[in-house]
Amino acid sequence: MDSLHHTDASDSPAAGPPAEAAPSLGARFKRDLGMGLKAGLQTFWTLARVMIPAYGATLILERLGVIEWLARAARPLMSLLGLPGDAAVPLIVGYVLNIYAAVGSMQALDLNSRQITVLAIAILIGHNLLVEGAVLHKAGANGFAFSALRVVAGLIAAAVANLLMGLVS
Amino acid sequence: MADLLRTFVTGSFGLLLRVFLIVVPIMVALELFEGTRPFRAVVRAWARVVRHVGLDERSAAPTLVGFLFGIAYGGGVIVRDVRRHDLSRRQVFIMSTFLSMVHAIAEDSLVFIALGASIFWVVVYRIAWAALVTLALTAVAGLLVGRLRGR
Repeated sequence: MDSLHHTDASDSPAAGPPAEAAPSLGARFKRDLGMGLKAGLQTFWTLARVMIPAYGATLILERLGVIEWLARAARPLMSLLGLPGDAAVPLIVGYVLNIYAAVGSMQALDLNSRQITVLAIAILIGHNLLVEGAVLHKAGANGFAFSALRVVAGLIAAAVANLLMGLVS
Repeated sequence: MADLLRTFVTGSFGLLLRVFLIVVPIMVALELFEGTRPFRAVVRAWARVVRHVGLDERSAAPTLVGFLFGIAYGGGVIVRDVRRHDLSRRQVFIMSTFLSMVHAIAEDSLVFIALGASIFWVVVYRIAWAALVTLALTAVAGLLVGRLRGR
């Protein structure tokens, strides 16, 4: 049944696990705990292998000044969301780095609560794109396409929210 | 350059520690409770909700993990379940789309709510948006696949 355990799969072929005569609770607990630890370590290793290179790439992009450059390019878009041009900085920081870094750079801006909410929506949908994109890729989706989707759909969601909030208030 | 390397090493360590401390307990808990009645009841209840965006019962558990804890952890469970019981590409596509739009619902949202964002917009609106985008993209992808097959 589970190809997860490559190591012991070879000695018990199609027959599956040996028929156990109702294992005791303790034995079952031990077996499940073992399987859980194994799956946990395996997943940890899978994630580590994709996340660490992506994290390294992120640091290099940051060092190369890509964040400032992208933020300058994104400035004009901000008015579509009812945001000041400076709001492009936390947005791009969120895309490249993560939510916490984005929140840190939001604190430097003077935004009203509606603007905070609009920016929050865009960042909550799209953030940490390299690392999370790499994980999605590993899960069998196209990481690049989904990162692009998160940027575009996040901006549209934020713009729509801004319009709706304008109607309500 | 040296400081970049140092940032990378300490940052990687922090990241790995965080992932380890979340992934291992999640996997152990899944393995221990997956067969139990309360767990199955929760997953079934969740499956009834996500059925509306096209997810089947086998996709419910990974989607729930991603929704609650984050894309990396949900992705980890997806990787495990793709290996174990062959989740279809279609299911992986729907899960990825849904989780792309909304994940780590508590932690991520709270960070912005603490900053003053409206709870309604960052939680309720975002979930509704995720459902809408998932349905729309699945429909578009379905049409494209259908057209490719038709040729």
